[in-house]
Amino acid sequence: MLDVTSSDQTMPEIFIDNNRYEFEKPGKVLQFMLDKGMDLPFFCYHPSLSIPANCRQCVVKAGMPVFDREKKVFEIDDEGNRVIRFFPKLMTACSLDLVDGLVVHTHHTDELVKQAQADNLEFILINHPLDCPICDQAGECPLQILTYKYGPEGSRFEHKKVHKPKAIQLGPRVILDAERCINCTRCVRFTDEISKTYQLTIISRGDKNYPMTANDQVFDDPYSLNTVDICPVGALTSADFRFKARVWEMNQTPSIDISNGKGCSTWLWTRDNLVMRVTPRFNEAVNDHWMPDAGRLTYRQFNENRISRPHLRPDDAGQVRTSWNNAQLTLQEELEKATPDDILVIGSPHASVEDNYAMRTFFGNLGVSNFHFIPHITPGAGDGFLISDDQAPNTNGVRALGFEEVDEKSLIKFIETSKPRIVAILDDDLLGRTALKAEHLASSWTIVWGTSHSDTTRAANLVVPVTTAAEHAASYVNVDGRIQRTVPAKETLYTNRRLNLEMSMGRLDHYGTKFDNWVTDANRIDCIPAWEFFTRMETGSDNIGWESSRQVMEEIAGTFRTFREVSYDRMDEENGIQLKLEQDSEVKPA
Amino acid sequence: MSKDWKSYQPLLVPAIRDLHEISVYEKNNGYQALKKILKNRKTWTPANVVNEVKTANIRGRGGAGFNAGLKWSFMPEPDGEPRYLACNGDESEPGTFKDRKIFEFNPHQFIEGAIIAAYAMQIDVIYVYIRGEYRPFVLKLQDAIDQAYEKGYLGEKILGSDFSVEMHTHMGAGAYICGEESSLMESLEGKRGYPRVKPPFPAQRGLWGRPTTINNIETLANVPLVMQHGADWYLGIGPKTHPGPVLYGISGHVNRPGVYEYQAGMDIMTLINEVAGGVRGGKKLKALIPGGSSTPPLRADMLEGVTMDSESLRDAGSMMGTAGMVVLDEDTDMVELIWRISYFYDHESCGQCTPCREGTGWLEKTLRKIKDGNGEMRDLDLLLAICYRMEGRTICALADAAAWPVRYSIDRFREEFEKKCKKTVYAVA
Repeated sequence: MLDVTSSDQTMPEIFIDNNRYEFEKPGKVLQFMLDKGMDLPFFCYHPSLSIPANCRQCVVKAGMPVFDREKKVFEIDDEGNRVIRFFPKLMTACSLDLVDGLVVHTHHTDELVKQAQADNLEFILINHPLDCPICDQAGECPLQILTYKYGPEGSRFEHKKVHKPKAIQLGPRVILDAERCINCTRCVRFTDEISKTYQLTIISRGDKNYPMTANDQVFDDPYSLNTVDICPVGALTSADFRFKARVWEMNQTPSIDISNGKGCSTWLWTRDNLVMRVTPRFNEAVNDHWMPDAGRLTYRQFNENRISRPHLRPDDAGQVRTSWNNAQLTLQEELEKATPDDILVIGSPHASVEDNYAMRTFFGNLGVSNFHFIPHITPGAGDGFLISDDQAPNTNGVRALGFEEVDEKSLIKFIETSKPRIVAILDDDLLGRTALKAEHLASSWTIVWGTSHSDTTRAANLVVPVTTAAEHAASYVNVDGRIQRTVPAKETLYTNRRLNLEMSMGRLDHYGTKFDNWVTDANRIDCIPAWEFFTRMETGSDNIGWESSRQVMEEIAGTFRTFREVSYDRMDEENGIQLKLEQDSEVKPA
Repeated sequence: MSKDWKSYQPLLVPAIRDLHEISVYEKNNGYQALKKILKNRKTWTPANVVNEVKTANIRGRGGAGFNAGLKWSFMPEPDGEPRYLACNGDESEPGTFKDRKIFEFNPHQFIEGAIIAAYAMQIDVIYVYIRGEYRPFVLKLQDAIDQAYEKGYLGEKILGSDFSVEMHTHMGAGAYICGEESSLMESLEGKRGYPRVKPPFPAQRGLWGRPTTINNIETLANVPLVMQHGADWYLGIGPKTHPGPVLYGISGHVNRPGVYEYQAGMDIMTLINEVAGGVRGGKKLKALIPGGSSTPPLRADMLEGVTMDSESLRDAGSMMGTAGMVVLDEDTDMVELIWRISYFYDHESCGQCTPCREGTGWLEKTLRKIKDGNGEMRDLDLLLAICYRMEGRTICALADAAAWPVRYSIDRFREEFEKKCKKTVYAVA
């Protein structure tokens, strides 16, 4: 069984299910096993929270070898194995320290442990409503999964279950079903240890207890929806998402949060080309397991108020929809009328590195040399955690591409004095968020590449619909100088999940069939990535000729020192790359 | 052991009028042990006091019966940061009502014991955690503490020495679980009374993460006796393995229920028949719960020659607990009784650990079903199975405390349970 000779090793060792493992750092047995890819059921444990050991699900049989103090060796039995003195009670692996020589038996090698885990699930389920068919958590529910895997075959509980309040609105975004709660206290510990708002506690006692706010208090923690993610059952659900979609109907695509400068790693969950919800994706370098509630609400801006087909204003009357061909020709005509000095190009901290670069290259080829952008920073909006003062996802990216940072006053002054013939604005609602007014643009011909209808697009002469972070593969540089990329999650009119290799392999691609009735062509927006529009504009021998955003990034990496180590493959492998940024944050007048 | 019990002079709660007044207590050798220590600090170094108490083998009176001095010796060396003593006066187990006698009639002896404990472990702050239902007694204790402060036994530079200690009272809010030492600390810290995972033990990381010792009130009231008369004298009271005076709280079907103080190791039948005046109405004794509701009940025929000390009771198949003896006569409905005890544990489970949270409720519901005449034979096996699944699977011992009475009662009074169950006949295939 146990290899005695291994005791000569200098590395501390533990034995799990008769296999020997070495460990370097002190830690706990459960985390060690999870790191090694071994299975052990648990509910209350979370790697980023304290360890209460209250669910009692991860019990194992553990023991220490008997050490002969006189001979300074481990005692050996007749068969040549170490004599193990087991702890009298089963131990919870989550709170059990890694100790040199520790012997652990899990359900794989010990019948008592296996029985104890099934017993514990039987206990958990006696008062659980078992309403999986109508529960939002079904399909991604640890209780459901672990019960199938480790649970008893049935229940011997023949009494009325304890009834507790249901559908309580804890706060604006979180709804509680107390009956489903298994009292793991993850949500309470989250507000105590991570968001530090201390808004939740467990009330009442015994099998009647459930999490609650203090009297008349509202659970309005800016990170409240993380409790929904970590809830191992359907007790806490998102007010916004509940009853909207089943987990298995959605595709899951890795992406990043574009609601502020932090750029939390996220999952985009899509169905029928609509983003149904946004959840955090583990990224040690940025957001751990968490993300702010505000970032989750961005799913609306991917779906609603979108610009579909180019919009042109032929005269002072309103905008009309036009063809892509006409949009290109109109721009071409306007450009021919203007000299490079007549063109004001405004990049965007809300648009990706690729799109800004494409814009810069296109206008640079025309002879334009001044590129500007207005940072979108709200001082005091940040909290030092996952919400930054910077309201845009790519301020550092635009800056690194050589766009000059200007403030709104100097930009307005510049427009008023030099009266540019053409104003080109990349996806940024400048009229909505700055002092820039429609009348400032009245004497110029304005073109806007935009994702959603806004004051700025409404004031434009030509609006080119472009893709959002949910539809294109593109990179963004966050406030800390980390470049991360998105993956297309929803199809546009011109992309197809099965044909576009940049799109993620979703759950449906893996397991679905083409007859799955939830795969439809609905909700596809008529838009293209901005870089693609600029490629189409170039027709002569100096055609930029990009075929994918991957190619655009390769060109950027070859052009700019800051980006020289960036590639999509590396970003995918390392969950983003830390850039060395040149410090140049002063706002210069245009 | 119990031969001279009639001549026993009470030491914890002596029959002296107004002993709760500090002047009366001082007249009756009060605070002499503390003075003795503080005047001879070369002899009575903190380590020596710990050793003396360890030698005296004061078994913790809160239920576990652990050597108090040994517990004190687990405290690490002082590092200049705060250390705490928490005094556990949260007695709320059904059948237990002894500490209130100390608060009521001899609070100063407890205070003196706590001060000596604080000196021995070099502790600066003492908290006394008392159940909120004891409000009148908490007020009495507070009066006594105020008097001790006035006389300089508490506060800065006690009796002119450089030893200082403060004492605070804290009222619980009605949770049985807060009598468990680690949830008592959580409660003192202002948190929800959830027991903590051990290790770390309180002596390593207790109140506010600092070394802390938790002692029962009665345990601490024994300390001045040891320090005044010496460990050898103390060991002479009752059995050597479990020495000293004990407050026996006798309740149930006896003629004279009450708290009686005698030496440890009293013969159980003597306590019931002579001290408490025998079973009420001349009825026959059926069973005894020896140390509070969590200790396994003993059938009358199991009590022959059993004495009230840890070892004897362990051999008989139960525990000393808090010496809160519940006497049950022949008319007692054991099913009803065990259901009521289960109801208590169901109500008091804090709900932290799964087996206890769900198990206590399941036990209560199943016992209620049997009590109401709806039970089936298989429910008895189910009860035993639930108990087996609860024991030893939780952070604190409440699950064990809830499971033991059920398990042992079914074991020892099975025919009574069976009588209440429906005879079910299952078809044989």
